[in-house]
Amino acid sequence: MSSGLRITDLHARVEEKEILKGIDLTVEPGKVHALMGPNGSGKSTLAFSLTGHPKYQVTEGTVTLDGEDLLAMPADKRARAGLFLSFQYPAAIPGVKVANFLHAARQAVRPDSLPPAKFRKLLMDKMETLDMDPVFMGRYLNDGFSGGEKKRLEMLQLAVLAPKYAVLDETDSGLDVDALRAVGEAVTALRASDEGAKTGFLIITHYPRILQHIEPDVVHIMLDGRIVKTGGPDLAHRIEREGYDTIREETGAVA
Amino acid sequence: MPSLTTGREKPGRYWKIDLETLEMPAAGMSKVHVKGPSGSRVVTLDVARADHADLLARAYGATGAKDTKFGALTFAGDFIGAFVYVPADVAIDEPITIVYSADGAAYPHTVVLAEHGARATIVERFEGTDGATFCAVAEIVAGDGADITFVSVQNLPDAARLIATRDARPGNGARVAWAVADLGAALSVGSADARIEHEGAHVDIAALFFPNGAQHVDLMTTVDHAAGHATSETVVKSAAIGSGQARYLGNIKIAKDAQGSNASLRDDALLLSKSAHIDSVPALEIAANDVKAFHGATVGAIDAEQIFYMESRGIERHAAERMIALGFFEPAIARFPGESLREELREGLRRKIG
Repeated sequence: MSSGLRITDLHARVEEKEILKGIDLTVEPGKVHALMGPNGSGKSTLAFSLTGHPKYQVTEGTVTLDGEDLLAMPADKRARAGLFLSFQYPAAIPGVKVANFLHAARQAVRPDSLPPAKFRKLLMDKMETLDMDPVFMGRYLNDGFSGGEKKRLEMLQLAVLAPKYAVLDETDSGLDVDALRAVGEAVTALRASDEGAKTGFLIITHYPRILQHIEPDVVHIMLDGRIVKTGGPDLAHRIEREGYDTIREETGAVA
Repeated sequence: MPSLTTGREKPGRYWKIDLETLEMPAAGMSKVHVKGPSGSRVVTLDVARADHADLLARAYGATGAKDTKFGALTFAGDFIGAFVYVPADVAIDEPITIVYSADGAAYPHTVVLAEHGARATIVERFEGTDGATFCAVAEIVAGDGADITFVSVQNLPDAARLIATRDARPGNGARVAWAVADLGAALSVGSADARIEHEGAHVDIAALFFPNGAQHVDLMTTVDHAAGHATSETVVKSAAIGSGQARYLGNIKIAKDAQGSNASLRDDALLLSKSAHIDSVPALEIAANDVKAFHGATVGAIDAEQIFYMESRGIERHAAERMIALGFFEPAIARFPGESLREELREGLRRKIG
């Protein structure tokens, strides 16, 4: 069985427009990959295609998660297989309490893993790590949450579910210092935990700043639906200095 | 016989039932059981007529219920009933319960008289067989500064029917709350009204209903602001699944002299299947110019982004829909008193989603 989140020649479209034009990328267990690119390059489309959003249609290619065919599964099964997406703009669900939602999600992803009392303890511990007020638990899911609160709740879910592979869509959070810190702390804490030591990360970002909080092992640059360059952390620093234009010229990408 | 003037009697595009031709079955066995905590005074209508005629007369027929088509039927029938009396400045913490049961036609009549500063919660329930058809009235007369919450719950068998006319008259600075939950019965036709004739009054109306199978629910609420500087808040949450059909008519009236009124009406309907239908017809009739009036209504299916968000956390589609639909009712459930009652409502709703 080939471990890793393996994306091979992935093509995807939204409505009639082809956005992903052949993505090849493998996230190995325990590794942090950064996917960088300007607006409109297809980064979020990749995130939603991986997690099975009904609006995004994969037209070609394969994705396997530790050898399992991810694309053959509906969205909920992909999550149970160990895939997690941190949303840029998570849906608000009035009337559903954060604690109940988290419990349902944990039970779905790791059935019978924790009795209620132990789950509560786990929740309290994770919330303390993320510096969250316990009153959060009684609030309705993302209902009336600020941007920062939504981000913290996404990170709390990452901590509670401890997925095998986490895709963090941080496209726009690059300018929000508080959000950056929350994401950095959550990733660091998960990697330090027993459950999350082998979690592989794909961090999607426009701005390199988040990578000051999480050191990536591999950096990919995406332009016009393709990965045009892959390198080490220095690639992110280059983007910080030069922007995407020199890479675009170098690689001849059109978008 | 007086009749309603809203046109709700006639079948519409989705509403198949002609209320004008609705026939009452023969009267069968009907019973009332009343239970009050210590300090409360609740008796059957028979006893009230015999022993508390003066008090009863102050509230019996004192609202507009008798002037409605079905209310008038109850007044004409009037076989069973209950009378709740809350003396001045007395607060009853535990709910007073009134349970009506029937196996044929029944005409229950609940009358509440609360003196100034009185506080109480009344929970009325309808029980019975498939043959039961209730034509019920509930009336509340609340004195100055009184605080009365009246809960009406029915989870009747599939073929039973309930027609319920509810009306209230809050005094100066009084608060009256209707909390109506329609879960069972083939047909439920209800109203929950209040007419504000004194300043400073507050009216809360909360209702939830969820027709499934072939159930029909028809609810109308009316807050009539005849006096100014009073507030009202109406919250209605409904869903329909299977071939469930419902209609909600929400009325807010503010009279010309009722300056300083503040009224809100929030009404949301969730459609959980293709053949389910809910008609929502809010109507604001405002004659005064210095008032606040809010109205918001939605009718629709569950948002696909909400479902995807839950699925992306491993929760199966059906379970996700269930959680979202139950959550949708929470703002109305929260307005019912007592956690055990709220849990009962959640359980009733849960069973309907399946």
